[in-house]
Amino acid sequence: MTLQECYAAIGGSYEEVVGRLRSERLVQKFVLKFLSDSSYDLLCKSMEAEDYQEAFRAAHTIKGMCQNLSFTALGDSSSQLSEALRSGFTPQAPALYQQVKEDYQITVCAIQAFQKEAGG
Amino acid sequence: MNRSREAVNPIRFLAIRLIWVCVLTLCIFAFLAVYMNRKTEGTIEHVGSVYMTSMSEQITLHFQSIIDLRVSQLDAIVQTITPEGSRSEEELRSTLQYTAEARGFNYLALYTQDGQLEMIYGDTITLEDPESFYRSMHNGEKKVAVGVNQAEERTVLIGVPSAYPTADGEASVALVAGLPVDDLSEALSLGSDALVNSHIIRKNGSYVIRGGEAFRESYFDRIRAIFDEAEISGVEQYIVGLRNAMEAGEDYSAVLEIGSERRNLYSTKLPYSEWFLIMVMPYGILDQMVSELSHQLVYMVFLGCMVILLLLIFIFWQYLSLTKRQMAALDGARKEAEKANKAKSEFLSNMSHDIRTPMNAIVGMTAIAIANVDSKEQVQNCLRKIALSSKHLLGLINDVLDMSKIESGKMTLNVDQVSLREVMDSMVNIVQPQIRAKHQHFNIFIHDISIENVCCDSVRLNQVMINLLGNAVKFTPDGGAIHVSLYEEDSEKGEEYIRTHIVVKDTGIGMSKEYQEKIFDSFSREDTTRVQKTEGTGLGMTITKYIVDAMGGTIQVESELGKGSEFHIILDLLKAEVQEADMVLPSWDMLVVDDDEQLCESVVASLKAIGLNPDWCLDAETAIQMVGKRHKLHQDYHIILLDWKLPNMDGITAAREIRRLYGDNIPILLISAYDWSEIEDEARAAGVTGFIPKPLFKSTLFYGLKPFMSDLTQEGQENESALNKRLEGRRILLAEDNDLNWEIAEELLTSELGLVLDWAENGKICLEKFETSSEGYYDAILMDIRMPVMTGYEATQAIRASGHPDAKRIPIVAMTADAFSEDIQRCLDYGMNAHVAKPIDVKEVAHQLEKFILQA
Repeated sequence: MTLQECYAAIGGSYEEVVGRLRSERLVQKFVLKFLSDSSYDLLCKSMEAEDYQEAFRAAHTIKGMCQNLSFTALGDSSSQLSEALRSGFTPQAPALYQQVKEDYQITVCAIQAFQKEAGG
Repeated sequence: MNRSREAVNPIRFLAIRLIWVCVLTLCIFAFLAVYMNRKTEGTIEHVGSVYMTSMSEQITLHFQSIIDLRVSQLDAIVQTITPEGSRSEEELRSTLQYTAEARGFNYLALYTQDGQLEMIYGDTITLEDPESFYRSMHNGEKKVAVGVNQAEERTVLIGVPSAYPTADGEASVALVAGLPVDDLSEALSLGSDALVNSHIIRKNGSYVIRGGEAFRESYFDRIRAIFDEAEISGVEQYIVGLRNAMEAGEDYSAVLEIGSERRNLYSTKLPYSEWFLIMVMPYGILDQMVSELSHQLVYMVFLGCMVILLLLIFIFWQYLSLTKRQMAALDGARKEAEKANKAKSEFLSNMSHDIRTPMNAIVGMTAIAIANVDSKEQVQNCLRKIALSSKHLLGLINDVLDMSKIESGKMTLNVDQVSLREVMDSMVNIVQPQIRAKHQHFNIFIHDISIENVCCDSVRLNQVMINLLGNAVKFTPDGGAIHVSLYEEDSEKGEEYIRTHIVVKDTGIGMSKEYQEKIFDSFSREDTTRVQKTEGTGLGMTITKYIVDAMGGTIQVESELGKGSEFHIILDLLKAEVQEADMVLPSWDMLVVDDDEQLCESVVASLKAIGLNPDWCLDAETAIQMVGKRHKLHQDYHIILLDWKLPNMDGITAAREIRRLYGDNIPILLISAYDWSEIEDEARAAGVTGFIPKPLFKSTLFYGLKPFMSDLTQEGQENESALNKRLEGRRILLAEDNDLNWEIAEELLTSELGLVLDWAENGKICLEKFETSSEGYYDAILMDIRMPVMTGYEATQAIRASGHPDAKRIPIVAMTADAFSEDIQRCLDYGMNAHVAKPIDVKEVAHQLEKFILQA
């Protein structure tokens, strides 16, 4: 699996990220680094603890990372979630949270698959 | 009708009063004149009679004193010369003669017992009235009488009792001495002087002494004759009156009316005699003098009257015109107020209607959404419509708020440095969707822009532009054209100003002449069926006008119904002091293709100014030929700027042709006022390399061309790093809580721009790092907003408030994934200098950092 295929699986824009980061090496480095980011854990914990302010920040951070890495799908859902949480809890939030979870799983799976191949 | 009668009435009222006053004045003056005349006549009579009385008294006294003197002289003669004292009768008589002659008597005689005059000397004299003289003498009274000699000369005789022996041997009764009448009349100054004619007469009217030209025997005859001459009757009453008075020995006074002439007659008895002094004073002269006087008086009175009347009329006239003017002013003010009131109530009803429409939509759509809550599609549709209506409603309310700010004089300008390019860009971005929706032709054209950065209230300038452009879009039908131009010229206000012209022209429905006059009035909207469909408060142009006025500029409108409108704004803007970044590019050969010759020339001038070497042409066919010519000479253009909308062959087709004929080497940039995203796919497919949005400011061209320049050069990498070397070694403090984001940022900014980055994991650390740094250590701060512990807002506020020497100076650029305008505004409100959106774009960051670091 190439990085391009990985991006296709994730629902991201490889061209965009390469255009910005200028080299595939860097993209690969940062994509892999995404796996170790703790924002998602923070989001999950905060949502369960109903700390929506912290959840908002976490969603916002995920959105920022996704924009940096051009993970369009996860970026969109996390963006929507952060908007839903911007001024506290709103009824849409749980549904959007589920969406983020789904997108995150897809993203992480794709990256892990890529990591295996690249590592292998 | 009613009003005009009310307006006329006061004038009629005043006119009638004026006539009254005039008539009254005339009456008063006429009465005064008549009354004074009467009074004068009475006074003359009075003065006449007083004069006559005192005159007659004097004459009488004078007469008495003369007679007294003569009597006493005679008495003295009688006392001193006695018959006993004389030896003979002869001697006595000669002594008497001698003494009498010495006293001035011209006659002397002895009055005998039988009433004969025994003459001693003088002429023989016959007494005219012997009986009364005789009586008086016998009674021993002193008496005056008149005698006549043979020559008919009159002599006044005075008799004094004395007993001298007479010729017949008896004793005489009296001694009688004579005086010439003339002496007496002279002494009494009888006759006629200037005013008075006087005579002495007896009871029967016969003259004793005649005064003046009297020649008849009797005074009564004389009067009768005078009356007869004047053919006037009534003389007898005066004669009877005079006779009766004389009979009673009283004074008599009367005014004789002889025709128009009047004479005062006065009669008084003289002492020692049966005589009466008659004095006549004709009023003629006096009357003449007095009537002259009274004529003059009347003239003066009427003259005075006229002057007063004229003055009155003048004052009246002035008052009238003043009143008229005041009434006109009042009427005007009332109409104005009515108009304003009407406009306001019309506005209110329009507004209510305009507000109700989107409100109805919101309410209705909400109801539909609730009813169809399960149908996602329908709810979305409803929500979209609600959002649209809300936006519209907000616009209306904003306008009304602005207007009330203006009306209460609270709107102020917030002047700051503004880039005209940014203003135009943002304006174009805002109206592009509307223009696209209505399929209108849009062109924006700038030329002669010498100063891009000016001092102005950018928000308000934007508002003006959006208002004008919004109107143009709104009132121009589908497929119409809208043209914006911007140009500068030297200002009359001085070196530090630049005169900026903004022209917005459309081919819309236009405006009537009447409406053009009041377009800038509050609450007006042309009330024709054509316009009623259009929404709006009608305040936009008023607000626009007010803003332009507040900026010290002018706005003019030219419009024709059905043809379109043109708004022309002229502003004298202060030149901003910032030095524009040094914009120089290598001297590449370029080709500019646009169908507007002026635009070509303007762009060519701008390109030359930044060091390029451009050619230009007006259509795609010529452009292709020119490119071909260069290609043959192996001197290809380095960059081609192609307008999208061109006659015959548009820019995209032209680009495709060039690619087909001459290959992919030459970058082709499309220039257009339209949104790039619409045509990007098609353009890219045709081989267009990039896009530069109109308006083409010098800086737009520079920043648009710069990246292509670096790609072009063989030493592109070096060139770009040369460009970026300007920031090399600069130390930046970057606040970012996320590891991954931080690493990406660090990687990009360090490798590409040569920056030295310090990482702060949150706002608090950022603040601490800044506070402990030495002055000038950090060149700028890049600040994430959403961070734990302390947000970017708070951190910025704290940094600005800290005592650090760089606290106020250091550039702080926000980096956030929130790109809403309110977020950007909030960043600026908290003291940040600028905002870049995530994901990090190196060029954008470099641009902002260069702007703040290099300019500082």
